Amino acid sequence: MMKLLDISKKYGEITHKYPFEPYKVADNFRGKPAYIYDLCIGCAACGIACPSNAITVVFNDDKSKLVWEFDCGRCIFCGRCDEVCPTGAIKLSEEFELAVKFDKSALIQRGELDVQCCTECKKPFSAKRLVKYSFECLSKANVSEKRLEEAKNYLCICPTCKKTATVATFTSGKEMVIE
Amino acid sequence: MKCDKFIEALGTRVKILEVTRQYEDQVTALVELNDLPEAVRFLYYDMGGYLSTMIPNDERSINKHYALYYALSMEGGKMFAGDEIAQDEKCFVTVKVLISPDSLVFPSVTPLVPACVWYEREAYDMFGLVAEGLPDKRRLVLSDDWPDNLFPLRKDAMDYRYRPDMKDHYMEPEYEFLRPEGSGIIDVPLGPLHITADEPGHFRLYCDGDTIVDADYRLFYQHRGMEKLAENRMNYDQMGYLAERVCGICGYAHAIACIEAAEKAINLEIPARAQAIRVICSEIERLHSHLLNIGLACEVTGNYNAFMHIFRIREYSMKLAELVTGGRKTYGNVVMGGLRRDMTGHEIKESLRILHIIETQVEEVWDAVMDDQRQMKRWKGVGILDKQVARDFSPVGPNIRGSGIKRDTRYDHPYDFFKQIQFDVAVVEGGDVFAREMVRYMELKSSVSIIRQCFELMPQTAIIVDPKFHVKPENYALAYVEAPRGENVHWIMQGSAQKVFRWRCRAATYNNWPSLRFQFRGNTIADAALIVCSLDPCYSCTERITVVDIKSKKSKILTNKDLKDFSKTLKNSPMKDLR
Ligand code: SF4
Ligand code: SF4
Repeated sequence: MMKLLDISKKYGEITHKYPFEPYKVADNFRGKPAYIYDLCIGCAACGIACPSNAITVVFNDDKSKLVWEFDCGRCIFCGRCDEVCPTGAIKLSEEFELAVKFDKSALIQRGELDVQCCTECKKPFSAKRLVKYSFECLSKANVSEKRLEEAKNYLCICPTCKKTATVATFTSGKEMVIE
Repeated sequence: MKCDKFIEALGTRVKILEVTRQYEDQVTALVELNDLPEAVRFLYYDMGGYLSTMIPNDERSINKHYALYYALSMEGGKMFAGDEIAQDEKCFVTVKVLISPDSLVFPSVTPLVPACVWYEREAYDMFGLVAEGLPDKRRLVLSDDWPDNLFPLRKDAMDYRYRPDMKDHYMEPEYEFLRPEGSGIIDVPLGPLHITADEPGHFRLYCDGDTIVDADYRLFYQHRGMEKLAENRMNYDQMGYLAERVCGICGYAHAIACIEAAEKAINLEIPARAQAIRVICSEIERLHSHLLNIGLACEVTGNYNAFMHIFRIREYSMKLAELVTGGRKTYGNVVMGGLRRDMTGHEIKESLRILHIIETQVEEVWDAVMDDQRQMKRWKGVGILDKQVARDFSPVGPNIRGSGIKRDTRYDHPYDFFKQIQFDVAVVEGGDVFAREMVRYMELKSSVSIIRQCFELMPQTAIIVDPKFHVKPENYALAYVEAPRGENVHWIMQGSAQKVFRWRCRAATYNNWPSLRFQFRGNTIADAALIVCSLDPCYSCTERITVVDIKSKKSKILTNKDLKDFSKTLKNSPMKDLR
């Protein structure tokens, strides 16, 4: 009994004055994911990797925008999104104070991206930024001017139209030229 | 090969229809339905097995039957010195039977092996399989208002997107408690929410005066249906994170067990460095869990001073976890094929510094606690778990080691990096609260030394390999991990693509509860909470609350429905009449 009191004396006061004195977290702490809209290209890699479906990347109702949405209430702070994002648009921050009042919308963060329409069928299929990003990647990859121009057109065609075109090439009996 | 000896011996007792091998230390023997009790009893008592888990499974899509798997960990009876089998013979033997979907009846093993009781009750709840001769046929896991004849784990039971209509939300559900005979015995309810128990579980203590004559309990207040969830909509990538949320304390042990079961089912070996880091993280988890329990055991007896000191030290173990994995509690580190985060030199150096602090300070506080005579009086001789009862009910972790039985999965079935690590299994005779806390204290020390050894022996390999899936729905495997509270056993049967067909997750406390009744007997009411605490139980949330407003002198019961309605609409607060 007295021994325990002696130990108390030895260590003195160890309580942190939280919240007046901020709590210092370790490096690499996994807190609330922070989203940087300007870097996001709408590739949806994070949405696919997220185990708890906290992130969704879908078109809005009239398909005029691609909506990236994050629901902090579902997030389990695993950091998968951080791992897979190609542009570093989402990173786990050091923030851990997440309480909100009785208002679900305070937990939700969203970003709306402009959509890219298909040059053939005119339907939206991706985000403009994603197409631009893919093109930039190609131009850095030492591709000839001519091929780059082709690729520019090709990137603006939606997957469905690409498929249709491929099938058409095959069935038309024309000889395929593979370089 | 391992296990052959046991299969041979079993063959002399009962007719074995088929033998299949899942992993180097796991083998399954299919026996006739009527031979089931004898086969399990023979392996359990005559060959020195412990019941690790029992898995009921709906295999109608595979072989038109239901199946039961009684998985026994063969390690020797361990009741006295020398009653243990050689290290290289220890293994898992599973007894399998098939049950026809027309009869749904199987002979109960419980009268011969008491450890099966909860498993067989659960088999009825989840699959409607009736154990003939089972002495206790009450519901176990489903809530009392769950509709009859709806067995959620059957593959065709229900559409998982909807919830079934409960029998009646507004009535207090009935549950029959087993009551001992005798005059002058009064019921003392403890829980579902009780001030000395930190989580909900309802205990009925039958008392004669101040002494507890017998006890019964109702748990599973918030069964979350994770097994069903995983079967229906999770892939292996997500399952590890789900398994981590089985428990708030031994989450990492569950994550490893779950992922390793899946890895074993596809026969995947992970790199040595990943194995070492898995061991390090699970030992960090043990540090903070044991400190938590020792602290609480002091708190329940009113020794707040010691409690505060131990929790002060526990903070270091959380810091350590944060440093190593980035999360104080959920480590989110395991994936199929290995790990997501490596450890660098800086982290190792810092960890060693923190470990030194924990080691010295624990010693200091424990010495002071041992010196405190009043504390010892509350701990010693209380809540005794008899050695024979421990043998019969297969409890795990500090619970059984406190009763003088040397049972530790890390030692009996070394997994991951444990093959290369030296440590002593903490065993204390006595079976009382003190013995269990002593085991925890000794394990704190061995954990520190295990982490240090891991740092030394950790090879410089990759931490992840790419898993190759050989999908075959009949493939299944067990994985076992010694969590802070005892052995966690997960069983996974592969499904199509990257999904599971059946996931059976057996947490440590599941094996510890059935013998608790014997620990209560003969103690006083004041010790009841301490006994429950020393078991280090793990139970989940509640379903209804009573609110009493002392100012307006009104009270109201908020039902499940009230709470749900309010959380959906945020209108018509169920508390509004109180204000
Ligand atoms: S941290 Fe994990 S759960 Fe949270 S948004 Fe990212 S991937 Fe999803
Ligand atoms: S750029 Fe990053 S944040 Fe944006 S959708 Fe892709 S993965 Fe998600």
